[in-house]
Amino acid sequence: METKNVFLIMRKEAGESLRNRWFILYTFCFSALALLVLLFSTMGGEIAGYSGFGRTAASLINLVLLFIPLIAIITGGISISQERENGTLPYLLSHPINKNEIFVGKFLGILITIWFSILLGFGLAGLGVAIRGGEGEISGYLLTVLLSALLAACFLSIGFLVSVYSAKASKAIGISVFLWLLFIILGDLGIMGTTVAMDLGIKQVFVLALLNPAEVFKIASVLVLSPRFEILGPVGVYAVRTFGQQGVFYLLFSIMILWALVPFGYAYLVFTRFRKEEK
Amino acid sequence: MIKVADVTKKFGNVLAVDSVTQNIKEGEAVALIGANGAGKSTLIKCILGLLDYKGTIEIQNHDIKENSKFSKSLIGYVPQDPLFYDMKTVNILDFFGSIRGVDKKRINDLLNVVGLEDHKNKLSSELSGGMRQRLSFAIGLLSDPPVLILDEPTSNLDANARGDFLNLVKEHKDQGKTVLFSSHRLDEVYWLADRVLFMKSGRVILDEKPENLATSLGMKVKINLIIPEGRIGDAISILNREGFGSVSRNGSGVYVEVAEGKKLAPLEKLIQGHIPITDFTVQESSMETVIKHIEENGN
Repeated sequence: METKNVFLIMRKEAGESLRNRWFILYTFCFSALALLVLLFSTMGGEIAGYSGFGRTAASLINLVLLFIPLIAIITGGISISQERENGTLPYLLSHPINKNEIFVGKFLGILITIWFSILLGFGLAGLGVAIRGGEGEISGYLLTVLLSALLAACFLSIGFLVSVYSAKASKAIGISVFLWLLFIILGDLGIMGTTVAMDLGIKQVFVLALLNPAEVFKIASVLVLSPRFEILGPVGVYAVRTFGQQGVFYLLFSIMILWALVPFGYAYLVFTRFRKEEK
Repeated sequence: MIKVADVTKKFGNVLAVDSVTQNIKEGEAVALIGANGAGKSTLIKCILGLLDYKGTIEIQNHDIKENSKFSKSLIGYVPQDPLFYDMKTVNILDFFGSIRGVDKKRINDLLNVVGLEDHKNKLSSELSGGMRQRLSFAIGLLSDPPVLILDEPTSNLDANARGDFLNLVKEHKDQGKTVLFSSHRLDEVYWLADRVLFMKSGRVILDEKPENLATSLGMKVKINLIIPEGRIGDAISILNREGFGSVSRNGSGVYVEVAEGKKLAPLEKLIQGHIPITDFTVQESSMETVIKHIEENGN
């Protein structure tokens, strides 16, 4: 793999994303909503142990959960399928460049642009908190930014996996939106439903939550922001008592890394090894 | 330069390329012709390493599977319908130039060669079909590769753009590039090719020089001779007596079929017989008639 080619694809992909009107709209909405969240979250004093940076970050978690997975999974979903559909992928491959360079370059290019919008949203909100006095610990805020970046990588990987199997962008978008609904909207309902239907214990509920990267992000973010882990409910209490507060965080962080690496690795293998042809 | 040895490609149960073996020499221009679905584009995609296949393909003795990147660096490819990223012309050249390790000067030179210097800041979506094809050709020439592969490059172009494009290809062919192209137009084949490969059901069933193509296939050319009304009967008699086939009256003239390369013969005979010829038109064989002829005669 030549880093020169990876960098070229990465630069092209990042440039295209930054010119893409949907991406601009998404970044604008995310940043505007982050500022709105800042406005509401700094109106009162301490609520449920949160104040300043902590309360802004806690408010941003829901925004991140809604926006980041959607943009990451859809952008990932169309990344390869669209090029395959419109014929630019075989044309690109007729040049001295390998599939692995294209795959890695595309992934990094898109990831960097999503990270850019995350940093912009969190940056503007963080700046607002700092200007207003900057109460609370900044480390929790920064860890939430890190977890958001990791969440973007998880859903981008899943999107790439969808993309390598899709011949058409429309199909990839459909599957991506379905998965987003499954992970984000139906995730909580699914856990609740399964728990009630199967009469699951706390341990099983915790394991079930770990199967969803969005749930993992949610639990990890609350853990880094709140000194009172009881707000996570019985599952949170079980987790902290079993692994310790730091232990749970490392466990959740590792699971998020796995969620980013496993779909990426599998999609990479499918694209570069199993699927040799691009008509 | 291009060695194709026993190459077979299947899509499911469909045999798209069937045991093709060919050796294209350095500087040679070879045309791939045949009906749609004959396997021309599939063979080209195998040579470009885009499809997996059985057999061996080598470019300048480098196996396309084993040494994919280097082999591809020896090829400039022009597809039928070039699709580019939505970037400025110069940026597209710059992008592909960077992949091929080409400097800015080469890019500016190529913009001049293909006549796109005035359009270098236009987005690819703003270019006409002819300009897009010239851009595609410029990309193919970026690293000055010894081999050019063109897949029906003029099928979406109008007559002017087609002429300009073919002249450009001819210039580079004359400079010594090895050219492999597929086409649906016989005039392009006559203009560019040193050799013609006719493909049918994935196999090369005819390997011929273009000038011998019609002759070896026994193809006929139709000539319509315009003759004064009072002399048409005499003209038909002379042509029949001289052994020309398919002589018939056609309004104000006579239709006669002759073998390729013998177009002057009926005119000479009529002039010797003191028959005045007011005008004449020639109906050359089209690719469709060649394909139909070969398909029907199984040549």
